[in-house]
This record gives sequence, structure tokens and C-alpha cells, in this order.
Amino acid sequence: MRVDDLHRLFTAGALIALLAACGGPPPPSPAQIAARAAALRPGDAHLAELYERSCRACHAEPRANAPLAGDRAAWKARLAKGKPALLQSVLTGFNGMPAGGQCFTCTPHDYEALIGFMADEEAR
Amino acid sequence: MTFSRRAAIGLGVGAAGAAVVGGMAVRQRSLDREPPSPAATDAGGRVLWRNWSGIASSYPAARAAPESEAALAELIRTTPAPVRPVGAGHSFTALVPTSGTLLSLDALHGLADHDAAAHQATVWAGTRLGDLGPALVAVGQEMLSLPDINKQSLGGAIGTGTHGTGTGYQAIHANVKAFRLVTARGDILECSPERNPEVFAAARVGVSAFGVITQVTLQNRALTRVHKRVFLEPLEQVAAEWPALSNAHDKVEFFAFPFSGLAAVVATDRTESPLKPRGPDQDTDTLLSLKRLRDLLGPLPGLRRRITHALMADMPPEESVDDSWKLLSNERPVRFNEMEFHLPRESQMAAMREVMREIERNHNDVFFPLELRSIAPDDAWLSPFYGRESGSLAIHAYYKDDYRRLFGAVEPILRRHGGRPHWGKLHSLKARDLAALYPRWKDAMDVRRTLDPDGRFLNAHLRELFIDG
Repeated sequence: MRVDDLHRLFTAGALIALLAACGGPPPPSPAQIAARAAALRPGDAHLAELYERSCRACHAEPRANAPLAGDRAAWKARLAKGKPALLQSVLTGFNGMPAGGQCFTCTPHDYEALIGFMADEEAR
Repeated sequence: MTFSRRAAIGLGVGAAGAAVVGGMAVRQRSLDREPPSPAATDAGGRVLWRNWSGIASSYPAARAAPESEAALAELIRTTPAPVRPVGAGHSFTALVPTSGTLLSLDALHGLADHDAAAHQATVWAGTRLGDLGPALVAVGQEMLSLPDINKQSLGGAIGTGTHGTGTGYQAIHANVKAFRLVTARGDILECSPERNPEVFAAARVGVSAFGVITQVTLQNRALTRVHKRVFLEPLEQVAAEWPALSNAHDKVEFFAFPFSGLAAVVATDRTESPLKPRGPDQDTDTLLSLKRLRDLLGPLPGLRRRITHALMADMPPEESVDDSWKLLSNERPVRFNEMEFHLPRESQMAAMREVMREIERNHNDVFFPLELRSIAPDDAWLSPFYGRESGSLAIHAYYKDDYRRLFGAVEPILRRHGGRPHWGKLHSLKARDLAALYPRWKDAMDVRRTLDPDGRFLNAHLRELFIDG
């Protein structure tokens, strides 16, 4: 199979996926997700302060390759691991996520609340 | 700058095919294994602190984030030692680990004052560089130079001698006109060439071993618009033309890609052209494609070189036009460990060639490029750029890879060429080695002992750097 054949196969697959999705609201575009992430702030003042100083640098910046704040699809797979596992990854670091998210005044409770905010849990 | 879509697809197909046919799956699993992590809390319930790359860690007994300079001064006298300030945790060396107090300056952030006529701004040291850009824009200023990454705190960047690139451009600390330092006794010193000049000279690049810098007055300039170009050239051509390239551009650096014979030149020049903001990040895609090639062809360096060269050859140049502060720093979401030495400018290319030879002969696990920059001299006593034009050479290792063998082989080359290590990046030098590299070492150590006679700011790593090594 040549690369061009693979291209055609991927295109056909994408078309089928698109047709299957018809009927529901279209998923937000990357630009819409990025714009929402840039605008989101926690309502709680303490949490907003922590988020502004540390998390936002990566979780509102598409070039950072981190799941963006409010991008429910990106967070869904991570939440599926369970909150304790997710908190463990935050505390010790995992893949691109540095330990503690470079927030060294955050408590484990703060991290849980920040995950909840970024995963848009209130809206779920 | 990235591989073409077709090339990337080809890489994916090739890797998958090899995984099945060649039994590469085991090797891939080994390469992708997450390094072992310390526990999230210790037996006493203390929460882990770990640096950005993950190799430095500790369980501090106390964590503090004072909300005023006065509160910080009060705290320093009484809190458990060692007292170690932390910014963004981006240093690779063990500057921060402490069993005593982890001191965050996060609450001391933002602009405290500015002088519009002189283009100077007084900034709290806990401000992250990424936040300082827009804060300075609000008063019509920008920093003269910025590092490749802007996640660091201003205090951390200054204290470790963090730098950008460009002929005539000094490191960030050289643009500090004055600072305020809280000492181990809780005194607050105003330091400048006129006030406490010896402390100003010794503690500016002081890795928080002299005290805690709380506030900094920076010499900035009016906002500039720049044209940034990233283009690929044969590595040997770039090395041969490096002096001319450095003189031809306002700011320039290059990335040398092992196992390719190629280099990416990043040139930035002032312009009045219309805005052309940079697009989505492509550096990360390129880096991950290079990793896939390493994973697949690492044991076959000759084939890897031919394929890498062929795949990179059609990479188109990138161009963008925007405010300088938006283009000089980059997102680096793939974690790594790093060694960087600052060499006499005339030795930089010879050292680069030796390091590249060593990597291509003996370290086929390397896929990150080398980074080469230029830095103008300054007069801070512990500045790696003290009194000489410098050319920096940085080596990176993926955070999941073993960096020790690579850095152990490269460091002697860089030392033989007269290099001084970056304070925040990995090296094995101790006090006796460093004393030979810094003409004002003894004077600096005298100032340190006077300010902190009991060593309240010294952890194990800093004791090796300044006392025992």
C-alpha cells in the first residue's frame, strides 16, 4: 500500500465518522476551544489567583499541547482514569505535565479544585 | 518548521511496520517508559516538590508564600533552614531541594513602578517572564532580551544567569539597574552600583545563596516589532558563516540536528512590516518526528542520517512578524534535561563540532538538537559571561532518556574549551573548579559569608558549589 492509498483510506474514514456524527450539535472547532480557554477563569478568587500564576500558562495556550481549560473532550479521557490517579499524575508529573504544575503553593485540595475547573465539571 | 504531512505519515507507517515485522515493540515500550517517580507524599505526610524535568526533588517541612516583603523578612529569620526560594522550578540543577522551607515568591508579582522616560520598570521578583511581557506592554516597554522559554520567574532567571541571544545583547541580569535583597537576618538591602555595590556585584547572579531578591529594576526599551525567520541550512555552512550571521542579524541562534548534517537558523530583525503572527507550534511536531526516527533507526546511524536528511530537506522556512516579546520565547511542551556551557566566543564552533562528533559516534539515543547562542559580556562577579564575549552550547536529553552518560561525555569537551556552566543546568563542577573560572570568586564568597554566616540559604548542592567541593 502506498502513502497516497493510505491518504484516501484516511479521508474515507473521516467522511464516515463525519456522517455518523450527523444529528448532534457539531463539536467545537480548535479555534473555538482555544478562545474559550483564553477567556475562562475560576469564579473562586483564591483558585483564580493560583490558576492565573501557574496553570494558565499551559492550559490556555494551544502551543503548549496541554489539555485546554474547558475542553471537555480532552479532559474526558483523563477523568476516566479516576480522580485519585489524576491527582497522582499532577503531584508527581506525567508526560508533558511537570510535577505540581509549577504551582508550589497549591495544596492537593487546590489541585482537585483546579482539575474540576479545567475539566468543566460543573457543566457536565 | 515541521516535516511535511506526507513525511510524517510515512514515518508513522514505517514505525508501525517495523514494530510488527522487526520486533521493535519491546524496544519502543522501553523507550516510552515513564521514569520512576518519588512518592507524592513522604512517610510524614509532606508533599513532594519536584522540578520541571523531574530529576530534582524533596519533601519540604514547610512551604511559604509571603504576601509582602516585610512578611518575607520576618519569616526568613525563623523558618526551618535550608530556606530555598523557588520560582517555576525550571532549573535542572538541585538549587531548590530542601528539607527545610520551600519559599515561593508567587505572591510578590507584577509591576511595582516604572519610569517612562528612562524605559525602566521595577518588578516583583516572583513575576513569571510570560506574564511580564504583557505587563510591560501596558507601560510601553519590553525587555531587551528574552530566553527560549518564558515560564521562569524573574528572580529565578536573574539568579541563574538566564540569557537570550544576539551580538551586543547581554543576559537578563546585566539589565538590572538595582534590586532589593532580604538577608538571612531579615534585613532588607537596596543594592545598585551606588548602594551596597559589592552586594550588587556578587548577589545579582547568586542562585539565592546570598539572600532573597524581592524586587528588581530593569532597563527595558520601547516596544519593537520584529521579523522572525526560521530556515534550514547545512550545518557546516552555518558553522562557517556563524560570525557573519551573528553580525548580519539583530538576534540569531541556531539548532544543530544530530544525525542529519542540518541546522535550523532562527534570525530576528527589527521591521516596520505588517503583522504576520506566528501560526500553530511546529517545533514540537518536528521534535516528535525526530524521536520516531530515533526510535526506529537509532541502532542504524548511517541509514538514520540519510533518511532524516531526506525528510528534513523539503521543510519550508517559517516567517512571522509581531511584537518582539511575542516571538522571542517559545513553548517547549516536551520535557527534557539540559546541560549548557558558556564558552569563549572563538571556541564555540570548534566545541560544537567535537560535541556533534561525540554524539554521532557514541550516543545514538540523542534526538534533540544542540542550541547555540551569543551573549555579550557583563560585570556580575558570578555571571558565566563575566568579562568575555560568550557563545553558549546547550545539549538536551528527553526526560525519559538517561542523560548521565551523554552529559558525562560532553562536559569534558566543554570544559576543555574553557566553558563556564549555566547555574541552572546540569554540570558536575564544585567550588574548587568554579573558583578557577571566576576572577572575583573569592570576593563573592566573602560577601556571601558576611550576609549568611550560618548558611541558612545553603542546601547540599549549594554547599558543594560554594563551600565543600
